[in-house]
Amino acid sequence: MKYFEDVRVGESAVLGSSTISEAEILAFARKYDPQPFHTDPEAAKTSFFGGLIASGWHTCAIMMRISVEAMQREQAAGAGSPGIDSCRWLKPVRPGDTLTLKREILEAWPSRTKPIGFVRSRSVMVNQKGETVVAIVGVTMLRRRPETAA
Amino acid sequence: MSDLIHFEDIEVGQTHRFGGYEVTAAEIVAYARQFDPQPFHVDEEAARRSHFGGLIASGWHTGAMLMRMVCDSAIPGHATNGAIGFDDLKWLKPVRPGDVLSVENVVVEKIESRSRRDIGVVKIAGRVLSQTGEAVMSLTSLVLYRRRPGV
Repeated sequence: MKYFEDVRVGESAVLGSSTISEAEILAFARKYDPQPFHTDPEAAKTSFFGGLIASGWHTCAIMMRISVEAMQREQAAGAGSPGIDSCRWLKPVRPGDTLTLKREILEAWPSRTKPIGFVRSRSVMVNQKGETVVAIVGVTMLRRRPETAA
Repeated sequence: MSDLIHFEDIEVGQTHRFGGYEVTAAEIVAYARQFDPQPFHVDEEAARRSHFGGLIASGWHTGAMLMRMVCDSAIPGHATNGAIGFDDLKWLKPVRPGDVLSVENVVVEKIESRSRRDIGVVKIAGRVLSQTGEAVMSLTSLVLYRRRPGV
């Protein structure tokens, strides 16, 4: 089990990759972000993006999926997240793109009231061309190792 | 196209309330199975035993539901070019099956682009509210608005 005490500030890791299909882009956007450049391949061609692109919330969802898979792999004692400091959608995500999630630990501090710790990290998703498509700084919570918790 | 609301037409302080998104257990589980398969999002029984005491929506799902309400009610009639991102997103309260979500958006700042004369950034403080009026999520969105041609 990976607890708060096992987090190393400054550490960077590649957490996984995922390839996004046109069908997935359309299905997500028709449900949650029905704008023509996300839902209509023909209309998207004449938009300022020049073709179909994924909803930014879809890109974030894929990042979450890769994060959860990594947490499950390393049996992290995850306790959720209070929020995100900043998220920037820097480049369009297009059908067939393969996104790789990289995360750097920026800061870690224990809760003064609960047996958890807070971890601030910077996550980026990079496409197959090496371009960063989304950059997120956020905070997650991990449970403390039972014998060290106050 | 001049009837669209452009960057010039937006005023700081403008407030817009909209929404009425009914959250179902089926949708919480469907979203989470695909994107956030943690027990308290996908498994009713495990969720009951968790510190949340029952099934709750993925925080990113709440963001996606916010986006749907924005698409239905805040984008039509507005000359927007998408968003560049958001700041200070907080997941304040769990979102549960049966909740009905709405949005309160307040324009907090307008920023002219230094590099492009044809667009500007509008900062919008958004709160997602439950049927009891409690904020379940808040964030500051950075939305691109087109400027009126020739202004």
